[in-house]
Amino acid sequence: MTMILVTSGVVLLITCAIFIGYELLTFRQAALRQIATLSEIIAAQSTGAVAFENQRDATEILSTLKAEQHIVTACIYDGKGKVFARYPADAKDESFPAAPLPDGYRFEDGHLAGFAPVIQIKGSERFGTLYIRSDMEAIYERLRLYGSLAALVIVLASVVAYSLSRIFQRQISDPILELSETAKAVSVRRDYSVRANKHGEDELGVLTDAFNHMLAEIQEQNQELERRVSERTAELEAANSELEAFGSSAAHDLRTPLRAITGFTEVLLDPRSRIPPSEVQRYIRMIREGSVQMGQLINDLLAFSRLGRQALTRHAVDLTQLCREVYQGLEHERKGRTVELDLQTLPLANGDPALLRVVLVNLISNALKYTRPRAVAVIEIGTTAGKDEDSPVYFVRDNGVGFDMDDADKLFGVFQRLHHADEYEGTGVGLATVRRIINRHGGQIWAEAKPDAGATLFFTLPS
Amino acid sequence: MIGWMCHRENSPRRPIRWLVGLTLLVSLAQGAPPPPTPSAEYQLKAVFLYNFAQFVEWPARAFLEPTAPLIIGVLGEDPFGPYLDELVNGEKIGDRPLIVHRYKRAEEIADCHILFICRSETRDLAKIIERLKGRSLLTVGDADTFTRQGGMVRFAMENGKVRLRINVEAAKEGELTISSKILRPGTIVAPGKN
Repeated sequence: MTMILVTSGVVLLITCAIFIGYELLTFRQAALRQIATLSEIIAAQSTGAVAFENQRDATEILSTLKAEQHIVTACIYDGKGKVFARYPADAKDESFPAAPLPDGYRFEDGHLAGFAPVIQIKGSERFGTLYIRSDMEAIYERLRLYGSLAALVIVLASVVAYSLSRIFQRQISDPILELSETAKAVSVRRDYSVRANKHGEDELGVLTDAFNHMLAEIQEQNQELERRVSERTAELEAANSELEAFGSSAAHDLRTPLRAITGFTEVLLDPRSRIPPSEVQRYIRMIREGSVQMGQLINDLLAFSRLGRQALTRHAVDLTQLCREVYQGLEHERKGRTVELDLQTLPLANGDPALLRVVLVNLISNALKYTRPRAVAVIEIGTTAGKDEDSPVYFVRDNGVGFDMDDADKLFGVFQRLHHADEYEGTGVGLATVRRIINRHGGQIWAEAKPDAGATLFFTLPS
Repeated sequence: MIGWMCHRENSPRRPIRWLVGLTLLVSLAQGAPPPPTPSAEYQLKAVFLYNFAQFVEWPARAFLEPTAPLIIGVLGEDPFGPYLDELVNGEKIGDRPLIVHRYKRAEEIADCHILFICRSETRDLAKIIERLKGRSLLTVGDADTFTRQGGMVRFAMENGKVRLRINVEAAKEGELTISSKILRPGTIVAPGKN
């Protein structure tokens, strides 16, 4: 607002200064012209009176000068250079120069005075000389008038400029202040859902739009971060709970063989107990089995925990070939049994070969394990259509004992066994490991089964 | 004696002094009595006669050509003496030279523009005016009944000052235009009045 006022003020001052300056410069010429014109008229009118020495008439003609209030004195000199008629009629002789001076006008001590010839016909001799003396009040009056006009204009213009600037302020400054208030509110309250009001389509509107856009971005980023944080938290929580389950299950499952070992050794070491030698051998065998089991459990646990730290390599893996190899390697499981393997051609997968081998070993050995009661074990390995073309769904199906779908969520838990250890050996870590591996490859694993009607394990491996 | 000659000081007519002086000497040498020096009154009237030339407009037919002289005539017993001649000598109104003619009788008047009718002709004034009627001639006189009898301009004495009495009607008859600058109130007389 100050800017507008200062600008208008300066412009006005310059304009007024120029006009007044011009007036000052030209006022002399203007005054001269004015008095020359007046003199000419009076002189022309008085020729008759002077030529015919009519003093009364000449005085009367001079008296018309009272119309110009700034004429102080005037007189007509006759041909002899004596004052013939005077204005005002009662002016003293001292008011006039003693004798007429050469024609022309001069500025002297605050007055303008001069002489003009009284001539009837140009070229002929003059009848007399007219003397006129005027004060400068007219000029000063004009300058004073200009000065007051200038002052008035400046005041008026300042008032107008002030009011206009107030109006403009509302249009310019207020939106800007509003924007800054919004910015402050956002940063103080951390509320990114706030938006600034748009007032128009001009540059300020553009600014407001950009500001709001930025706020939307920040809000989005914020939400994204929140989401990621909660994701990570969920992951961490899952890992933590896994770890907890891991810890408690490990403790629990290790305790069982340990209890057997401790029990048996105590009995054996007790001098009071009388155990027949055949029983001693059996006890020792049980102890050995217990430690073997513990060793196995510890190995599985180590392998499972190491999975988290291993880096995942990505290679093209021929799953069909891998299945065949694993199947061959599980010969001891198939000894003395009739097992039918229906292996389809599996599409190439992209993943870690070693880890994928672990997956297949677990799945196929599980299938072999749970089909033991069957006369003919049938294992199918293939693909089925998935949600999108790029992600085929692999499956391993067996005609084994199956399980109740109600227990499906326990299937992949660490140390979760759906069957008693007496019925089917195993540490319960296998499927948890498999799920971990599949998840690390970005895929999903799930199962479908019916009690005593076999089970199918589905999994995806995105490329 | 030289004093009255200094009527126009800032004029180029200082030679007047010499001229008059010379005339006096010549007339003295001739033994003729010096002509009577005109009174102050008639000096002024002579000047006025001369001045009329600047305040009166004659119709075109009054002059043969633009440079034809403007003639001031004196009818009757000349009261001006050589003063008028000296006043007018060498002067011009615009391009017209000024000359002075003297007449004894009205019949003699041919070309004339300003005519001063002396008091000596007062008895025959009406006849003279009648004879000159219609001519573009400014008739000037100082007889008391001058304008009443049809004259155009009368010199009247008022408080010792020479005043003009102008019969505008008479002037109009002669197709003369008298400048308003000398037609001030108090100077105009109606015909038949003074």
